[in-house]
Amino acid sequence: MVANRRTAGRNSAVSATCESFQGKKNGGTKRPRFTMFLHILSLYKLYLKMDLAWLFRDAKTAILMIIADVLSNLSAVTGIFLLAWRFDGIGGMSRHEVLFMLAYSTILTGIFQTFFCGGNTAHISRVIGRGQLEHAFIQPLPLPVQWLTSGFIPLSGSSNLISGIVIMAVAVNQLDLVLPWWWVFSLVLNLIITTSLILAQSYLSASLAFYAPVQAEEISSIVIDEFGYIGTFPLSGMPKALQITLITIIPTGLLAWFPTLALFGKPPFGFSAWYPLLFAIILWVIALFFFKKGLNHYVKKGINRYHPMGHRR
Amino acid sequence: MLKKALTGITQWDTAVEISGVTKTFTQWQRENTGQGVLKNLFKPQKKIITALDDVSFTVKRGEFVAYAGPNGAGKSTTMKLLAGMLQPTSGSVRVKEMSPDKERIKLMKRLGVLFGNRTELWWDHPVSQSFEWKKVVWAIPDDVYRKNLEMVTELLDIGDLLKTFVRELSLGQRMKADLAMLLLHSPEIILLDEPTLGLDVVAKRQMIDFLKKINRESGVTIIVTSHDMDDLEEMAERIIMIANGKIAYDGGFDGLRNITRNNTKVVVTTDSGISEYEVNLETNPINSLLRQLSEMEGLKDIEIRKAPIEQVIAELYGTWRGNI
Repeated sequence: MVANRRTAGRNSAVSATCESFQGKKNGGTKRPRFTMFLHILSLYKLYLKMDLAWLFRDAKTAILMIIADVLSNLSAVTGIFLLAWRFDGIGGMSRHEVLFMLAYSTILTGIFQTFFCGGNTAHISRVIGRGQLEHAFIQPLPLPVQWLTSGFIPLSGSSNLISGIVIMAVAVNQLDLVLPWWWVFSLVLNLIITTSLILAQSYLSASLAFYAPVQAEEISSIVIDEFGYIGTFPLSGMPKALQITLITIIPTGLLAWFPTLALFGKPPFGFSAWYPLLFAIILWVIALFFFKKGLNHYVKKGINRYHPMGHRR
Repeated sequence: MLKKALTGITQWDTAVEISGVTKTFTQWQRENTGQGVLKNLFKPQKKIITALDDVSFTVKRGEFVAYAGPNGAGKSTTMKLLAGMLQPTSGSVRVKEMSPDKERIKLMKRLGVLFGNRTELWWDHPVSQSFEWKKVVWAIPDDVYRKNLEMVTELLDIGDLLKTFVRELSLGQRMKADLAMLLLHSPEIILLDEPTLGLDVVAKRQMIDFLKKINRESGVTIIVTSHDMDDLEEMAERIIMIANGKIAYDGGFDGLRNITRNNTKVVVTTDSGISEYEVNLETNPINSLLRQLSEMEGLKDIEIRKAPIEQVIAELYGTWRGNI
């Protein structure tokens, strides 16, 4: 095929040039209209394929990576669970309630990684700080659509999700829970809300990178990691002042502890079970305000920095 | 037939219109002394850099324009303004009669942008995967994608590169792959910032021929920046030169030679040896020059050379430094 093309004369090449460009211009009116929703689905399909191709570019590496990820996820929650086991629960939460909370936290991390960790979508301060937003500006897609889809790594990013589901199945089994459909729906909704909370924190902090690209390049990662570390710890039994601080000012308690208790029908301090939703909405309003402000600053002032690596895997 | 169909679809004649655009940046500065560091803590030293100073020009549909100037003149800033990556401090920018800022998504479907020092390719995937990515993101119809892919594969001779992982490509190969990807959505206007950067002679030749073809035969408007003036002269008919943020020259390449009074060189070979003369063809017309030369005794050969454009530009840069 390639050899045939090479033997073709220059004249045929010229015709090909013209035809191709004609084809676009004339064909543009005939091509089916894609709705944004369909386009988003096709983007998800594309990133699924790309993730599969990336993960299995080398089968040996892929298997090692999956095993390492699963071991790492299990070890991350084992410490706290062993403490809960040794002391027969933590601060009023039973051993298996603690296990359920750890599972919730692992699934949360899994969802976050699966949907937003490709191409530094969640770690957006890296993209801003490295001057790589310019790659996003030249795509004919709204920025939110780009960030909603390009972070999708359903295979290489799903080890936490799978480990979390397994741990949750064990916890639910041990707790003898009867799960009506609305409870499962509520669980999924809580997971979406808490995922959006981490994302909002990341975008809020990343607003700083518009003004100080070098200094704040890694701020999203720091915020996400710190949230992850503290978010897995059961706050039951801690001083009330600390608990209130960790569900208001530094809302790490909203990542797993609060939703777990809410799902068991005993939200802390008698708050509404939907308090995290309210918090997420307020946080997103603030994050969007500062992020847009930063983006305006970026396109007006520019960033005199460009890092060639990292915007694409 | 084609022209009629195109006219019916798109009503635009001005590809690019920049009116009174000024773009300033703030540059942080500091003296490298202890006192400088302390002073910087309380009152950071900043300098306002005017990258573009009341710049205006238009580019008509189908033109091939070279955009040149010394380092730091404002070339890349202009390209970024046209591509919607930056907004001007004042003035207006229109590309294909659209605002790159307000109509970014619509514009990007018809605009192609390539910066020589960066890539749009996916690093850890074969080149063909990046092309497929572009197809989905730009929603390129199957038939158009297939035709354009065939065309760029043949003209840029990248058939062997399609299965190669991008991280394995040489700089020249990557540039070709990037240019090929840029063209997959049939852009009507192309902005190229240093596209021949790092290319060998053959690759450069292919790229120049290719760009000239798509400009000539498909009417694609191209604006290109480069430091290689010979390349620019070969590609473009018009050159806009920018220096210290202002338009210093806008016209043909021969006009540049006239500005510098860079005389034509005449190399004459006679029985007695080779002599080189500088002739101003404006004061000494070519027919009278040839008559005089033909009367020389023992004449064997005459070679008339235009002043090299690189030399002309170097002289101009020297003149502009600090004068504008």
